Amino acid sequence: MALASPLVTALSVEANEFPELSQRHGVQSVPRTVVNGAGAFVGAMPEARFLAAVLELTRPAEPPA
Amino acid sequence: MAILNEQLKEQLKRRFTERLHDPVQLTLYTRPGSGRLILPGGLGCATCGDARELAEDLAAAAPEQVQLEVVDVSARTELERPVPSLTLAAANGEANEGGGRLGWQGLPAGYEFATVVDAIERVSRGEHGLADATVDALCELTEPVELMVFATPT
Repeated sequence: MALASPLVTALSVEANEFPELSQRHGVQSVPRTVVNGAGAFVGAMPEARFLAAVLELTRPAEPPA
Repeated sequence: MAILNEQLKEQLKRRFTERLHDPVQLTLYTRPGSGRLILPGGLGCATCGDARELAEDLAAAAPEQVQLEVVDVSARTELERPVPSLTLAAANGEANEGGGRLGWQGLPAGYEFATVVDAIERVSRGEHGLADATVDALCELTEPVELMVFATPT
């Protein structure tokens, strides 16, 4: 995705080497994908589901009614 | 002991000869000479030596196309980069600005090494390998998206 869009940055983090960072992002199982430092999902998944999960987490929050 | 044995290095060389096209830039952020001892305050770097050896093996497999820059963060304190970390970008492309948007933090061992090899090939060939529908969706993005994928070296 980072190759296809200039707006995407992708970083693979070796969880065991950075325990504080892993703890901060709630890593209990891998692979865990953290989107914009906030939302996250766990597991390897097909491309379409991965994209959907990323887009869901980047969607702006609905303003309160 | 070497990270990659001679057989693997030869395989990598053959694979890169067949698959690489344009030059790529690998940048390794490291702290040389810190050894495997972890000191309070994060001064140590247990895997910097291995990461450097791995990066040098990648560059040696295709010296014409894989350009390696090793950055000593202890001499460049303004960088504040975790070590070791590796970034990848097209050597002459716009993506190289900012040090690359594709990276690995920690030693990319095990399956993670395969992702580095695959990414080098994709960047070199300018092929992301995604479905058209994915590319269309990514074109709709208006804000930056930062993905961090936590993995372990299995």
